[in-house]
Amino acid sequence: MRAAATILAPVIALALAGCESQPQVTFTDVSVTLPDDPIDLPEGPGRQAVLENCTACHSPSTLLQQPRVSREKWESIAAKMIEVYKAPVDEAAIPAIAGYMVAVQAAGADAD
Amino acid sequence: MADKATQSQSGARLTRRALIAGAGGAALAAPVLAQELGRMIDLGLPGGPSLRPLQPAFPGKRDMIVQRIRPPLLEAPMGVFREGVITPNDRMFVRWNWDMPTAITAAEHRVAVGGAVKAPVSLTLDDIASAGEHVEVVAINQCAGNGRGLSEPRVTGTQWGNGAMGCAKWTGVRLKDVLAKAGVKEGATRVRFAGLDVPLTDGAPQFIKSIPLDIAMRDDVLVAWAMNGEALPLLHGYPLRIVVPGWFSTYWVKMLSTIEVLTGEDDSYYVAKSYRMPARPITPEDKDFDTVSITTMPPRAFITSHADGEGVALGKPLTLEGIAMGGDAALARVDLVGEGWEVPCELGPDEGPYAFRRWRVTLPAVTQDLAKIGVRAANATGAVQPDALNWNPSGYARNVIERITLVAQ
Repeated sequence: MRAAATILAPVIALALAGCESQPQVTFTDVSVTLPDDPIDLPEGPGRQAVLENCTACHSPSTLLQQPRVSREKWESIAAKMIEVYKAPVDEAAIPAIAGYMVAVQAAGADAD
Repeated sequence: MADKATQSQSGARLTRRALIAGAGGAALAAPVLAQELGRMIDLGLPGGPSLRPLQPAFPGKRDMIVQRIRPPLLEAPMGVFREGVITPNDRMFVRWNWDMPTAITAAEHRVAVGGAVKAPVSLTLDDIASAGEHVEVVAINQCAGNGRGLSEPRVTGTQWGNGAMGCAKWTGVRLKDVLAKAGVKEGATRVRFAGLDVPLTDGAPQFIKSIPLDIAMRDDVLVAWAMNGEALPLLHGYPLRIVVPGWFSTYWVKMLSTIEVLTGEDDSYYVAKSYRMPARPITPEDKDFDTVSITTMPPRAFITSHADGEGVALGKPLTLEGIAMGGDAALARVDLVGEGWEVPCELGPDEGPYAFRRWRVTLPAVTQDLAKIGVRAANATGAVQPDALNWNPSGYARNVIERITLVAQ
């Protein structure tokens, strides 16, 4: 993480030169460094199941930003990740994952 | 995390073990995110959670709402739209479905043109740039899910406010000139695009999208390399992206690497199963309904001069300003609407049918609170923004009139 991500190749020259026919377009090599994605999930039952099955693909920040939905909805979302996106989610962990999300969202709602 | 980035760049897929190891390592290494984030912005999402950080910083980006760090989802704060019609590159929203490479070697990049073509070709960037006349189009790039977070009842997915949109001048060659390099065969129906972003897991659907052949052959559908006169930033799809003016940005495939001409329907996941909405209006209780692909954009308008709840001077004239768009056709008119009244707005300079256009209206005097006012855009085909949300389970194509209340004081 640490402060601003840097552009390694800041000069992305696009030479719009020439006047006769087509302008010349120059493509340069480009490289960027993206910020890290820290794992920051509140403590609670099922947290480990979420870390093991969800956070490799989903930012914790994104998980925690979702609107409050039912346990059944979270279970169906986890099932969709297996069926559609072939995510290596342990099916036996789904109740724990759904339980964690419901509890975290309820705690968030109480805090509002 | 570094390992994971390296793996995804090299195209290797993650195994379950690697996924767990990656998550565990990051958990140990990472301190508390929220405390590092500093400045937050409130998107006003009904029922919350509504606060979003404006950090961490991303390369070439300034003060963006961070909806997701990996793969990046960055939203423009609405203040970006207060002036002009062009969205600066450092304020344009960013949306990736899957991780993308973080480095591009220009000399090695190729665009494969294949499928139902006379002679498949593999084109260099110079081949693309010399494929035809260079064309500039000013067009709005808007996520199909823009405004999803404002849906009531709420729906899951990226919880965008209304800032997953922007308007830029795109430069490139016509897609049809690139297709001509390979020669489209008789019987072609659609043209499909793939980029360098690939799924993390084996078997997950690649993010590929297709458009009908007649759209692909339009004079303003581009293979673009520049955005507002600069090379496409990597986060916007360097070196090349598709531009389909009037269509939602899901079709504007970034880091273009493959163009495939199809002869039938497209049964790939992101066309046949995802990015779809009900064929007819539904209620949140409806479960079984036919769906259609989201394609063209409907008209929208926004008040940018004032925020909800802001005070305005009682007895004084009031000027309101903002932006509007016609969607897939030119903007025809914008009206300021309240409860039981409406006033036509004056339109600003016309930058083309697919661009934002500014509007402005002056009320002679504020006599009371301006409750639930909004602006309503209509386009040249007669499409008008509706009073009620066209609710759908994925929160696509929001274009309900956005209303605010201004308090006379």
